[in-house]
Amino acid sequence: MDNRIYVIGRDCAPQHLRLDAGEKVSMTLVILPGTDAQLALEIDLAGPGASLDLAGLYLCPEAGQVDLRVLVRHAVGGCSSRQLFKGIVGGTARVCFDGLIYVAPDAQKTEAYQENHSLLLSDTARVESRPQLEIYADDVQCSHGATTGYLNPDELFYMRSRGIPEAQARHLQMQAFLAPVIRRLPDALAEEIHASLP
Amino acid sequence: MNKVLLEIKNLHASVEGKEILKGVDLTIRRGEVHAVMGPNGAGKSTLGSVLAGRPTYEVTAGSILYDGRDLLSLSPEERSWAGLFLSFQYPVEIPGVSITNFMKAAVAARRKAQGLPELTPGGYLKLLKEKMALVKMKGEFARREVNVGFSGGEKKRNEVFQMAMLEPTLSILDETDSGLDVDALRIVAEGVQQLRTPENAAIVITHYQRLLDYIVPDVVHVLKEGRIVRTGGRELVDQIEREGYESIDG
Repeated sequence: MDNRIYVIGRDCAPQHLRLDAGEKVSMTLVILPGTDAQLALEIDLAGPGASLDLAGLYLCPEAGQVDLRVLVRHAVGGCSSRQLFKGIVGGTARVCFDGLIYVAPDAQKTEAYQENHSLLLSDTARVESRPQLEIYADDVQCSHGATTGYLNPDELFYMRSRGIPEAQARHLQMQAFLAPVIRRLPDALAEEIHASLP
Repeated sequence: MNKVLLEIKNLHASVEGKEILKGVDLTIRRGEVHAVMGPNGAGKSTLGSVLAGRPTYEVTAGSILYDGRDLLSLSPEERSWAGLFLSFQYPVEIPGVSITNFMKAAVAARRKAQGLPELTPGGYLKLLKEKMALVKMKGEFARREVNVGFSGGEKKRNEVFQMAMLEPTLSILDETDSGLDVDALRIVAEGVQQLRTPENAAIVITHYQRLLDYIVPDVVHVLKEGRIVRTGGRELVDQIEREGYESIDG
């Protein structure tokens, strides 16, 4: 399965996708530092057996505003969708993530998961995460989760006590946090992301 | 007499405004192993944390000279480069970071600080395998995430493995025996024993005598309520074993 990669501001990302019966789409959105972005993405799983694997990464280490709205609509049964959004937010940056999974009546045997995790680098950064489920069928497996946290100071001290300089230790922590999304990207883009971390 | 490696004078330290260490004096020479024993809450782990530079601990009075340098003016990473190593009582899990990458970063930073050339990938791998063998770790160990999903024994073996990788001049083993079964204890103790040289020294912090059956200390200190109340030899360990800490006061 191809993984379609869109770097927001460089590539033209779709606003609407429709997956027909048996269609499988894997897609990764990347928001690099210094990009103010307002993204609204709607995806319809319109035929049985369709499957969506969606991931996103937002890097706002200093400033800026990112609004992400994702709607995944399960119109028919027997489809699956997985979403994983992760990001780093620092300085005075603002991130708003709005994710809705809609499961239509009769869309039985739906599997839908969504996760959104943010790492805050400052007390003045803000993240609003609103994952929502709207489910009208009863035989489904759906879940969502959102976390917002800081770099773990115990991990930082542990690494420094082994001689890893503080800045590098913070980079390792951030890279580890982002790894599940970065793994989906080509090496050159992964390198670019690693180099852009504060 | 060997050269003095560590000299602690009148050390006072607090955590969150509460004074834990209330005037510790301790001198350690190269080649020596010192045991620091004491009841729970005496300040044993605080002493280890202060030596390693944990940021949440505040030194309010006193001085620490390490190899002639003012230890308290050094950052945790600088202390590591200078040869100080703390084996954590509770080793930290670092999800997403493999042991290979963790140790590669640590070894590279240390070599850079010491003005040594970078190791080749082959040279690093050789070192890794050699030190893993010391604590009887198998090949897949290096690919695992640091301490994630490790048993108590594996975590402590990982600490001794890291110690072997970094070849410290002063090792502080903070309750390295806690949570170990007899086999793991033996592996850990043998690992530590093999790392002893006339040039380096160790502080073994422990509540019980059993680790000291394997790593025989030259000097034994009893820490109670933030002060060293007694210093002696091996016989002190036996007295504690027989009569408990109640029997020992300043």
